[in-house]
Amino acid sequence: MRTGAIAVGVLLLVAACTVAFLVGGVHLSIADLVAGRGEEGQTARLLASLRAPRIGLAALVGGCLALAGAALQALLKNPLADPFLLGTSGGAAVGAAGAALLGLSPLLSPAAAFVGAAAASLGVALLARRGGRLDLQRLLLAGLIANAFFSALLLAAFSIASGEAARSMLFWMMGSLADATPRKVAALFPYALAGAAVLVAAAARLNLFSVGEENAAALGVDTERTKRIVFLASSLLTGVAVAFAGVIGFVGLLVPHAVRAAFGNDQRTLLPASFLVGATLVVAADAVARAAIAPVELPIGALTAALGAPVFAWLLLRTP
Amino acid sequence: MSAAAPNRLEARGLVADYGAAPVLRGLDAAIPAGAIAAVLGENGSGKSTLLKVFARVVAIGGGDVRLDGERLDALPRRQTAQRIAYVPQSVDLVFPIRTLDLVLQGRAPYARGFVAETADDRLRALEAMRACDVEALAQRDAASLSGGERRRVFLARALAQEAQVWLLDEPTSGLDPRHRLEFLETLWRIHGERGTTVVLVTHEVALAGDLATRVLLLKDGRTIAQGDRASVLTAENLERTFGAPFSGRGSRFALRSAVLPMGSLEP
Repeated sequence: MRTGAIAVGVLLLVAACTVAFLVGGVHLSIADLVAGRGEEGQTARLLASLRAPRIGLAALVGGCLALAGAALQALLKNPLADPFLLGTSGGAAVGAAGAALLGLSPLLSPAAAFVGAAAASLGVALLARRGGRLDLQRLLLAGLIANAFFSALLLAAFSIASGEAARSMLFWMMGSLADATPRKVAALFPYALAGAAVLVAAAARLNLFSVGEENAAALGVDTERTKRIVFLASSLLTGVAVAFAGVIGFVGLLVPHAVRAAFGNDQRTLLPASFLVGATLVVAADAVARAAIAPVELPIGALTAALGAPVFAWLLLRTP
Repeated sequence: MSAAAPNRLEARGLVADYGAAPVLRGLDAAIPAGAIAAVLGENGSGKSTLLKVFARVVAIGGGDVRLDGERLDALPRRQTAQRIAYVPQSVDLVFPIRTLDLVLQGRAPYARGFVAETADDRLRALEAMRACDVEALAQRDAASLSGGERRRVFLARALAQEAQVWLLDEPTSGLDPRHRLEFLETLWRIHGERGTTVVLVTHEVALAGDLATRVLLLKDGRTIAQGDRASVLTAENLERTFGAPFSGRGSRFALRSAVLPMGSLEP
């Protein structure tokens, strides 16, 4: 692991969190927060109590998505792999929305999203299999089909749902961090930690995968087991990110590329650094979404897609 | 070698497939320690698959495969990778990787989890690169290497892996005469120094004739002849294997068994 890369990631994240804490529809003054009396102090503390969990949620969600993307790219030896493009996020959203529609407790939403994400990964992988191996073009096509299907399901769910349920369908489709609470951050944290720990522990094996699955097998890796572990852990990260913040696309695509360009493809650096930079990206994007045309908030999924789609196009042109 | 010592690699009734149709259909192979074994056969005869089974890239579908008398599929994978190195025909590199890091992957079977390579690993990798004459490429991106350089880099990786068996898939295909010669000289020298058992798959009958101490002829996923090269590389066997005429029979372009000028390689 290159500690320099990790230090840069931490600094970026701290900087993004600081800015995100201060900006928004109303500017937050640190002086008022610390020493403010009366109404000014109260406003500052109220703003802080609203923004802090939102920033925490943004950081965890961004980290989860970026790490899942980085691990999938190495596993599939495919720079275009991303939980959003491969339909994993869509499956998670359908899982979460389905649970909401059935009136299940919101506590079950992460589990439902995980099941949806894992089922989507499995389905897409099965569709993309050809002669015992995953075919790059088929993988992207299968992801496209899966996304179209999941969008249709979500739209259908949206049209039957009413009131609060309809609002939550929209939330999963568009992605939002507006409902962040300290409880949600606390609930997401253990899942993020577990998924991240599993993937980072697999980093050395993923290095061998990023040269090729046969390469990994010939160097002593139980490839089937590693594939299962990485698929499950990245589905978990994607699932919980979607359960708490809806579909926020392209984070898993953009971030690993930026980190790879800066620090190389050693997964032992790339995976933890992607988590940090992914957290930074979503915290920053959410700050822009809140502040750009305040008091109206831009949907964060639209923002990351606007950033991600051109990068995807560029990558597609460069891929042989 | 005493008569009682088991073959380094042995397959009996080996069956293997890639999901659909079986590629190997009851293949037998015996490769003694220290041999250079050439595996010859038509496209689709199962040569590369046999190599991949030995490398544990393709699962054994039936039959028995042994390494030094032990069942290959009963051995821990990492342990097999410490004993058998696989050099693929070509690797398509999608992500950037420094050549030294690619060679260091040969140390992966000895690594402990997340821990980065030790100084000792780096030393062994650089030493292996020196032996294969690719030390100067250490800091280059492996994707930028020429075909000949890449073959030697993968050979260096096999060397860094410190395995007793090397499996080489079409090691000379696509190389121009000079790079071919350089590659073979390197391989021959290392084999001489370390007594590494080499199994190589090739289309070049002449290469088998020059280099191999042992030859296996494959057809339709079975071995039709195996043994020392003199007894196996007969015109009759080769015609049976390839379904094509050999010198003096039928065509001015007929195959010849062993005549390329590689005198320095002659054992």
